[in-house]
Amino acid sequence: MALVRRNVVATADDVPPDRDDWIADLTSGDASIRRRAARALSRMPDAVPVLCTHLANEPGLSVRSIILTGLIVHRSAAVVNGLLPLLASEDANLRNSAIEALQQMPDEVAPHVESMLAHPDSDVRIFAVDVLAALAHPMVPEWLRRVVTNDPHVNVCAAALDALAEAGEPDVIPALQGLAERFSDVAFIRFAVDAAIRRIRGR
Amino acid sequence: MTMPVAQTETVISDEEFAKFREFFYRKTGIMFDAQKKYFAGRRIIDRMDKLGCATFREYFATIRFEASGDEMQRLVNQMTVNETYFFREDYQLKALVAGILPELAAGRNDGRPIRLWSVPCSSGEEPYSLAIYILEHWPDADRHDIEILGSDIDSAILAEAATGVYGERSLQRLPPELIRRYFSRVKDRGYRISEDLRRSIDFSQGNVVDPQFMRRFRDVDVIFCRNMLIYFDDRSRRETIEAMYDCLSPGGYICLGHSESMSRISSLFQPRKHADSIVYQKPSR
Repeated sequence: MALVRRNVVATADDVPPDRDDWIADLTSGDASIRRRAARALSRMPDAVPVLCTHLANEPGLSVRSIILTGLIVHRSAAVVNGLLPLLASEDANLRNSAIEALQQMPDEVAPHVESMLAHPDSDVRIFAVDVLAALAHPMVPEWLRRVVTNDPHVNVCAAALDALAEAGEPDVIPALQGLAERFSDVAFIRFAVDAAIRRIRGR
Repeated sequence: MTMPVAQTETVISDEEFAKFREFFYRKTGIMFDAQKKYFAGRRIIDRMDKLGCATFREYFATIRFEASGDEMQRLVNQMTVNETYFFREDYQLKALVAGILPELAAGRNDGRPIRLWSVPCSSGEEPYSLAIYILEHWPDADRHDIEILGSDIDSAILAEAATGVYGERSLQRLPPELIRRYFSRVKDRGYRISEDLRRSIDFSQGNVVDPQFMRRFRDVDVIFCRNMLIYFDDRSRRETIEAMYDCLSPGGYICLGHSESMSRISSLFQPRKHADSIVYQKPSR
């Protein structure tokens, strides 16, 4: 018979490494060692700055993933401060990972939303809107309304409009109509505003 | 003359349903097409009634903005009713013998066994199904050592798995000849799976979100983790998948349930198509 039974034996570390050992392991050439270190450091709240700093330089996607999960579990102001600069990263995977992580920390992100939406780089403002698009916070519709009312860049407004189609209530409809007037020369905006209003009205 | 009074009934418009299903898909990977509107709509209305929401808009705001995600999770549970039985989602068993095992076996020259892990294994239908399906349908089964592990958090259900006695309902998908070959009748209790098979599965009790437990599993080639993660919150899903990543050998696979999608959880794995099934592979290096 081809089926064999072999009990899986526990593999435990003889002497648990301390915090400095784990930090040293983050520089290992072996991704599995870095994952183990990241997982251990993720359980230490005072290691958040180390993990945030390492995240920006970590080449392995699997290690990044474990660091981000650890940061999501901590979900503190320090974590948000460490992740926000990554919205401006040229590394799309890192940027998107930061967006996903920030989406899961609504209360911690809330104090930063105004500054995120005022960033001088319109691409970063789009990523800020992407964070809001899946943020479970009651202020989201109001933040997005301010974007479609005030932001000068059509692509930032289009991103907010898309998010409002899901998150918006009927009281944002005047702001959407105002957006259509502000960008009356952009056919896509008129089309998207009509679609969003239909979606918000539910008919 | 008295006009009949129409009973007030909660209605979800097509536009509202479209909004809901896009949101639900983004959160869970489960897509309801237009034909499923009645199925999904009934369950949404049930939850609205329980919460006292007068309109869909009110309910949608709850699942969209509630920071705890509790109501969203209740709705997911309503939408994904599960039961376990032999040869459930057998298209993945076909993928296993038609694509995954031949690929793993072709790259294995060191005599290491091929290790499969069913988690959660519940009352044992899945790991026993793996064993039977491999013995019946993989021509190279006798040329390789195959270990099958089964784990569950529930010690009582594991005791049932080890006992291996099942009713007609659990066996409904099994052809009669397989029941004859692998089971014997137990008076008034149903059918008991053969001792050979019972002895071939290594059952263990533990929790997948416990790092200590997960460290026990290394060099696993295929993990069957079906219809469990859908009940976890985002954080636990991520932690579990990342822990499973370390349990797997390079090139190893995870098979999720039909309503689950790895793309909603993690980008660590590469989707692969074997037979008609999408499964997820850990990169080889």
